[in-house]
Amino acid sequence: MTAATAAPTAAPVRRARRLPTGWLLAAPALLWLVVFFAIPLANQLQVSLLSGDAEAGYTLTWSFSTYWDALSDYHAQFLRSFGYAAAATAIDLVLAFPFAYFAAFRAKRSKAILLAMVVLPFFVSYVLRTVAWQLILADHGWVVERLRDVGLVSADGRVLASAPAVIAGIAYNFLPFMILPLYVSLAKIDRRLIEAATDLYASRATAFRTVTVPLALPGIFAGSLLCFIPACGDFVNAALLGTSRQYMIGNVIQSKFVNVLDYPTAAALSFILMGAILVFIAIATRLLGTRTLTEAAV
Amino acid sequence: MAERLSRRAFVGRGAAVAGGAGLAALLAACGIEGTNEQSLAQLRRQADAVDHPRVEIGEWVFADWPLYMDKAIIRSFDRRFGGATKFVEEINDNNDFFGKVRQQLTAGQPTGRDLAVLSDWMAARWVRNGWVTPIDRDNVPNARHLEAGLTDPAWDPGRRFTLPYQSGAVGIGYDIRQTGRELHSLRELFNPEWKGRVTFLTEPYDAAGSVLVMQGKDATDATLDDELEAIELIGEANERGQFRRFTGNDYTTDLAKGNVALALAYSGDMVQLQSDNPNLRFAYGEEGAVLFTDNLLMPAEAAHPYAAEAMMNYLYDPEVAARLCAYVNYISPVRGIREILERDAPEIAENPLIFPPDEVRPKLQPYPSFTTREEQTMNEAMAKVTGA
Repeated sequence: MTAATAAPTAAPVRRARRLPTGWLLAAPALLWLVVFFAIPLANQLQVSLLSGDAEAGYTLTWSFSTYWDALSDYHAQFLRSFGYAAAATAIDLVLAFPFAYFAAFRAKRSKAILLAMVVLPFFVSYVLRTVAWQLILADHGWVVERLRDVGLVSADGRVLASAPAVIAGIAYNFLPFMILPLYVSLAKIDRRLIEAATDLYASRATAFRTVTVPLALPGIFAGSLLCFIPACGDFVNAALLGTSRQYMIGNVIQSKFVNVLDYPTAAALSFILMGAILVFIAIATRLLGTRTLTEAAV
Repeated sequence: MAERLSRRAFVGRGAAVAGGAGLAALLAACGIEGTNEQSLAQLRRQADAVDHPRVEIGEWVFADWPLYMDKAIIRSFDRRFGGATKFVEEINDNNDFFGKVRQQLTAGQPTGRDLAVLSDWMAARWVRNGWVTPIDRDNVPNARHLEAGLTDPAWDPGRRFTLPYQSGAVGIGYDIRQTGRELHSLRELFNPEWKGRVTFLTEPYDAAGSVLVMQGKDATDATLDDELEAIELIGEANERGQFRRFTGNDYTTDLAKGNVALALAYSGDMVQLQSDNPNLRFAYGEEGAVLFTDNLLMPAEAAHPYAAEAMMNYLYDPEVAARLCAYVNYISPVRGIREILERDAPEIAENPLIFPPDEVRPKLQPYPSFTTREEQTMNEAMAKVTGA
């Protein structure tokens, strides 16, 4: 801001001197982005436009129809992915907010222990954690038998191999991604603002609604994105806790790449997924407004 | 403000131009390299001329599936022949492994593996494309112990490029506590009595093949249309909620945990599961069973063919084959091992899953042989049914 309002004649000279340093500083990260992001992405775009099969080889035919075919064949899995990811994100938000709130405002010495408990499961591999749920929720396991006793699961019902199991698995696996940003943004809140609100005759509920929550919005936004985006592409939970009727788009992409060796469709599906997520983020940003978010963060 | 915007626009446009140029260059680089199918006759000429001189066995690479080899056999091979076998359990799935080495194979470069184990249909694909090194049978005299029924598959007449490693049957694995009775027919997999308590295999040759056997058709002579019809039947049953999941080898978890009552299962797995859970049973369908065979083969450009041939010869020594069979519990393709096991491990010699009874043997049906295109169509149809 200050640079733009400064004398216009001085600006270009100073900028010319400053520019290379900036680029130099950014160079390692830029190089990283080009080598590990831009080039693979371009390569993937090219793969999505090939046609052929694994044995006879693939040739570049600019077959954009792959995209249309992929979408018409697998729109159900796309919708399911977004639905499951949104449900899991909502569950995480509901579970994480009270926890983060407690850790940020109420916990004193136990704060470190609480946060360690959140991070601890990360020391075990993602797949193993999910396999553990497969064993815990087995049809004749202790947990499901008790759920049957209290009537939450019907006598011949099951928990595994169902949509709730997959959503719960995703919610479980991504919970820390929601808690940590929430905790950070809650801990940053200046307590005096809440005190000021109550001094001005706001009830505790009103103060929470009009001060705490808006100030925590950046955390809510960041946490939701950190949960939602990877959850959309997840295939582990659906593969281990679900059936083919719960398969998400990640399962399709994985199978197309690894088992069917249909690289073009797999690449096209990945691009569609990426595009859809970008659109989601754009809409969310527009709705919540980055401007108010950044202002809230300051 | 205007300055900043224009600079951003400039940087953006510059990046777009640079990116576009890079992209065009990348896109122009040709597609993923293909192959030319070699005629079988041409391959056979190669096989006729093959001569792998006996050299000292140094370090060489043997790629196998997990838990598919008694490592003591590798150690005794190394001791006896002075080699240093690099034994890697890296094959979890035929396609997965093919994806790993495909680029080298199609470019005519060495894959870094001298011996690999692949299922019939994938081995057939490698032979069809000339991605194999012919076997110098002079170095594998023990191959004469090969079971008569396996010597002449349509895709490798006379076994010039491959040798069977182990075979197994696809049948009904079940938990007798849950079913309450013995099962005999493949039709049980579609019986509404077990709705939602059945798992089915994802692999189309095993899944659709078993349906064909169930219908009394010949799975080995099946046409693509037969397979597609069978897949359709599986899809309809799945729509009705008959199957809990489609699985690879991982049906074992659901079966061992009691989540399902029965599964379309592999015989060898069931032998191993039974030792942990005596309630688990395996039945060959009374209609018959799909027989799959995994094959030893040397990838094209293998650097140490003699070492690989020495290993094949070693594995075809009935004494060694008996040890391997006792360890992996699959059906051995080597003749004369039953007598050895009757002496050393009588309970294995009497296991019908390892030595199929005489009334079952003629009903075991190997995989059919399809062209690439047909195989692709079948895979896609099955993938649609299994949901991915």
